[in-house]
Amino acid sequence: MNARLGTIVPFALLTLLSASAVGCGHKEYVRDSHDPSIDNAAMSTGIDKDDIQRMLSENLNNLRNAPIMDLWRSHKGADTVAIFPFQNATSEHIDSQLGAVLSEAETWLVESGVVTMISRERQNQMIAEVEGSQHPVFNPAHAAQYGRQLGAKYFITGKVEASDERTDDARRVQYFFFMQVIEVETSAIRWQHKAYITKAVR
Amino acid sequence: MTLRLAGLGLDHSRSRRRDAGLAAGCRAVVAACALLVGCGGHEARTLKMRTALDEGAPRAAIAALNEELDVKSDDELPKDLEGDNALLVLDRASIQQSLAQFVASSRDFEAADKAIDMLDLARNASDSIGQYVFSDAAGRYKAPPYEKLLVNTLNMINYLERDDLNGARIEARRLAVMQRYVAEQLHEKDNAILGLGGLLAGFTYEKSGEADEALRYYDEALAFSGYRALRDPVRALARVSSYKSPRIASLDGPDPLPEPLERSNEGEIVLVVGYGRVPHKVSNRVPIGLALTLFANDIEPSNAAAANKLAAQGLVTWVNFPTLARGQGAYEIPSCKVDGGYVQLEEAVDVSAQVRAEWRKIEGKIVASAISRMVVRLAAGVGIQAATQDNKSTAVQVIGLLASLGTQGALAALDTPDTRSWETLPARVAVTRVRVPAGRHQLRLEARGVSRTQAIDVPKGGWKLVSLMALR
Repeated sequence: MNARLGTIVPFALLTLLSASAVGCGHKEYVRDSHDPSIDNAAMSTGIDKDDIQRMLSENLNNLRNAPIMDLWRSHKGADTVAIFPFQNATSEHIDSQLGAVLSEAETWLVESGVVTMISRERQNQMIAEVEGSQHPVFNPAHAAQYGRQLGAKYFITGKVEASDERTDDARRVQYFFFMQVIEVETSAIRWQHKAYITKAVR
Repeated sequence: MTLRLAGLGLDHSRSRRRDAGLAAGCRAVVAACALLVGCGGHEARTLKMRTALDEGAPRAAIAALNEELDVKSDDELPKDLEGDNALLVLDRASIQQSLAQFVASSRDFEAADKAIDMLDLARNASDSIGQYVFSDAAGRYKAPPYEKLLVNTLNMINYLERDDLNGARIEARRLAVMQRYVAEQLHEKDNAILGLGGLLAGFTYEKSGEADEALRYYDEALAFSGYRALRDPVRALARVSSYKSPRIASLDGPDPLPEPLERSNEGEIVLVVGYGRVPHKVSNRVPIGLALTLFANDIEPSNAAAANKLAAQGLVTWVNFPTLARGQGAYEIPSCKVDGGYVQLEEAVDVSAQVRAEWRKIEGKIVASAISRMVVRLAAGVGIQAATQDNKSTAVQVIGLLASLGTQGALAALDTPDTRSWETLPARVAVTRVRVPAGRHQLRLEARGVSRTQAIDVPKGGWKLVSLMALR
């Protein structure tokens, strides 16, 4: 009988202590050069470095071979191009990541050497002039006006849309990233391409 | 603590050694019980915060939350947002909003929004086992529909206060995702929170120049409340939009529309006042007999039989379960003045009524599961005692009794009623929308002894949204 008791008491103990046994661990800072795998994990349904690289690589590789790029090459850098903010039409607060996308695209164009890029600081001044000092926020409807006042021949802009769905045990966000080159004078779309990214919690 | 075995008839050294081992086990059980006792649940974690809010000291309430979250400033998020800290961050977001700290409030709402969603998605079988054996509070928090909808609704106010239509549109889209989920997966199509959410989302899209989207949201908002102030803006939108519905059409009439804001050199002000606090959850402890009477319909027959047997034996057994405390401030009449003149507010949503309605739906199940746990506790105790009662040794029988009581006591101590909820929601929210001449205006919003005086510049054809959250 005591043997039975001997098994029951530890069991009771185990039951009790398991409830209070919260896992203890410590956190440490890591750098990607020491552990490249830290960039691999998806941390949220927002967009991260890997998503930005994949979206841009799809779109810019397409732009590289587009007729508009051949035209710019033939003009030997004489065409001036402005780059305007990408619209966030998603259900995620990804504006800072879209700022990174914009900078990456701008860097790619500057390094390509086929166009003259207009500085973004000047663009912000122009936006403030067009929209007024009370609400100096980029308005996509006025993009052509900004472009004209900046003396740009073309402007690059884009938009991210998303389909966001939630069920009892999962949430999925499908991103649709569009980029386009627009001729300021005619508002004609000279190039447009899209890339898709999906993130989910399940 | 020393458990003395002397004088209990143990004279064999082998038995003495064996029983000394059991005594050590017993001491460990008692020690474990002592460790587990004293957990007051979520309501105890937020007591200081609620007291500070009642005293009209929201900064002290934030300080109490920061202490509980183990962070040094209002701008810092806790290291761990995976547990119930998410709820405390949600509380801090509401209080930051009441202090007009809209950027900090947005950051808290967004962090908590993701964390609460993650908790909801991560619930699994181990949560159910924990809830079955230990306590409802042992499982991950599952936010009720009104909380899920209010996160994005209230955060929309933060963005509109800052004239940030882009941020407000993102919150409106998140609200739409959650609204679809609540309607299609949880089968709740008539949640009154959508009245306020629809109004703010409609306003966001109207001012973004997206008439169809605006009317879709306004149509939903009008399903819950009349919103007299919406009549003219909706009629104006209906003339330029392809969105049609019987509710929108019914607002039209022969009277002419007011001139567009640009032409009349006017702008618009939207005022939002939240006041009082929704009822939070508190621990309740009633004798088993009373619980069986109060919730007879919700208890499974097998559990009811076991519990009835206990009650009939005259055993004083208690059932721990949460219940709703009284809300506060729901009958207040808030006031708004624009340039010294009163403007009338309309009720947008009675949040307290939503809290009570949701609670009524689940209260029976919660008490039933508390009774199930009580039966499990007693069974565990009885099992341990039964294992020792046939033993000839009195000492073993005593140890068995102690182990049985210890196990029951510890499991009872672990059975902390689940008092988790978003406690800093306003009891009611009222709104209005007025046209004013373009230029500078003085506003004063007041409720529950809390006021906000604000000078604003309304541009020609423009708008401003000003809010007050009086969480007392």
